[in-house]
Amino acid sequence: MRRAALLLALGAIAAPLPAAAPARAQASEEAIKAAFLPKFVRYIALPTGSQPEAEQPYYLCVIGRDPFGATLDRAAASEAIDGHPVAVRRFANADAPAIAGCHVAFVAGANDQQTADTLAALRSQATLTITDSRWSKSRGMIHFTVAAGRVRFHIDDAAAAACGIAVSSRLLALAIDVKQRTP
Amino acid sequence: MRIEDITGRWRGFPIAVTGALVALLLLAGILIVAQGESSYLAQEQRETHAQADILAASVAAALDFGDAAAARESVETLRVNPQIRMAAIYDRAGALVAGYAPEGTTPPGRIETTASSGADAIVSKAPVTRAGKQLGTALVAVDPQPFSTRLRRYLIVGLLVAMAALVAVILGLAQVTLGRANHELESRAAALTAANAELTHQINERAKAEEQLRQAQKMQALGQLTGGIAHDFNNLLTVIQGSADMLQRPGLAEDRRKRFADAIVEAASRAAALTSQLLAFARRQPLKPEVIDVNQMIAGMTELLDRALGERVIVETALVAEACTVEADRAQLVSAVLNIAVNARDAMPEGGTLRIATERREGEHSPMIALSVSDTGSGMDAATIERAMEPFFTTKAAGKGTGLGLSQVYGFASQSGGDLRIESTPGHGTRVTILLPGSDRASAAEQERRTVTGGDRTGSVLLVEDNEEVGEFAEALLRELGHSVVRARSGNEALEVARAARFDVVLSDVVMPGMSGLELAETLATACPALPVILTTGYSDEIARSGTGGRPVLLKPYRLDALASVIDDALRDGATAS
Repeated sequence: MRRAALLLALGAIAAPLPAAAPARAQASEEAIKAAFLPKFVRYIALPTGSQPEAEQPYYLCVIGRDPFGATLDRAAASEAIDGHPVAVRRFANADAPAIAGCHVAFVAGANDQQTADTLAALRSQATLTITDSRWSKSRGMIHFTVAAGRVRFHIDDAAAAACGIAVSSRLLALAIDVKQRTP
Repeated sequence: MRIEDITGRWRGFPIAVTGALVALLLLAGILIVAQGESSYLAQEQRETHAQADILAASVAAALDFGDAAAARESVETLRVNPQIRMAAIYDRAGALVAGYAPEGTTPPGRIETTASSGADAIVSKAPVTRAGKQLGTALVAVDPQPFSTRLRRYLIVGLLVAMAALVAVILGLAQVTLGRANHELESRAAALTAANAELTHQINERAKAEEQLRQAQKMQALGQLTGGIAHDFNNLLTVIQGSADMLQRPGLAEDRRKRFADAIVEAASRAAALTSQLLAFARRQPLKPEVIDVNQMIAGMTELLDRALGERVIVETALVAEACTVEADRAQLVSAVLNIAVNARDAMPEGGTLRIATERREGEHSPMIALSVSDTGSGMDAATIERAMEPFFTTKAAGKGTGLGLSQVYGFASQSGGDLRIESTPGHGTRVTILLPGSDRASAAEQERRTVTGGDRTGSVLLVEDNEEVGEFAEALLRELGHSVVRARSGNEALEVARAARFDVVLSDVVMPGMSGLELAETLATACPALPVILTTGYSDEIARSGTGGRPVLLKPYRLDALASVIDDALRDGATAS
């Protein structure tokens, strides 16, 4: 029953994405993640100084390895938050100075250490970090996991709060678990 | 505008007002219920919609991320509200994502089929949107309160309306009843006013009629009186005129002359008695009280009574042994007894017994002498007794009585300080009692003796008389008696004459134009204190009012010996005084 509902839900989300049609599980998982990434922007509130100027897009950066490709570009293109489009930027590592403009960043280093370094570099600015990694040092504020065949995520609200980012309670409600911010 | 017009015009008003009020109340009640019902439904609708909105908002993220479990959790939270029958989330394509329904049923699988679920439920759908894009639909179906529950709520309103209507109806009825009672009262008052006016009119008519009757009775009585008096006087005048005519004939024999002269004297004295009776009735006659022993007087009258009452009437007397002295006018008392006796005789046409009794009674202040005359005649009824003492009231045929008898007796008795009582029963006779104050003075029989009859004194007399005939007559009489006479025609003239010459006595009329006899006497008393004044009058209000101040009075009509006697007394008193 639950599974049927999940499949239905997945179908519903995947339906508008033409590239999501392939039946491969791997591709499905990445596609779902690619669909989730722009949506996260909606459920967070960046500190006032870090928000984009009027007419300027939210920058969704993929730092390091890019598992999504064009799927992410399409998902981002269909998203618009309060008149701001979502633009995807890709960087090899965190060394580029342009990563300072990233509002949301998916970090996937060649290994966990590299990911951890990148995250450490981003910690100085108000960027919502998202990772696939499960290692604690290389965990972003949101990191994906697959539970019971479903793509789900954990939220480290404490880390988000440390960067001045507020995460919507609705998003928190969808997380498998939440590392509560210290009051 | 009269009050009836108003009440008439507005009589239907209370009913109309009451009807309108009741209708208004009922309408208001229905409106309140309808409004309450519709507002309740609207409220439910709003609440359901709010629920759906909340649900939609809370599942937006779940739908966004395709998290059916999270959506179900959101939906399941609504279960705590028992009124929510069904809640469901449909995705953009209209397929059910999550939801719950009452026990034994499932939410419709497609959004399109939800319209038919639960006919009486309030269903509200809210779009689940994200950035203006619809992600799906939240549906909430709410069981409205059962109609019976709502009805119970409206029952209170209905009850209030019913009570208000009842009050209005009662008030209206009361108003109508009051109006009707008012109207009835008004009509009764109007009837009463009319009756009162009629009664007043009748009373006035009656008073007028009574006044006319009284006037008529008075005129009738006056007619009777004058008729009787004229009759009596004509008889007497016939005698006087005839006798005087005879006396004027020459060569009449001395004895016949004397007979005619006697007849004139007799007739004149009867006429005088008649006028004195009239005056007594008018209570204007100056009484000449003297001390009388009533017993002696009655004893002396028996013969007279026997003769006056005829043979059929037996006269009895029952006189007490002790003296019954009174101070009264003898002639009047005798006349009174005679009057009553004649009435008694008339009441006994077939004969009977007349009983005269005397008695001493203790009065309030002094002993009273009761002189009662009783008969065995026909008696009188109460109404007759009541009017017996009324002047001019008589039961006798016209011309036979003046109706003055008892009235005169009553006048005499009350004027003498006494009273008159009449007791009578029809068929059992009548008793008339004269009450007079008793006197402790000795009978004046001896005093009378001392009256000197023959004083042959003569003197100069000042005669004051305004009436020419009487003046001439009196002057002639006085000269005949041997007095020298000077005549004055008024009080002022008399005063002048009295100052100019000396007189032994003044004989003055009382009623004169200008200065009256009494005023003259008073003036002379200061000017000439020694000059005695004799007053003469037929009757005088002034004498009755103020008395004569101790001066002798010669009552008109007077006769020669009376004139001679009073002048003699005055001359003698004047002589002894000087």
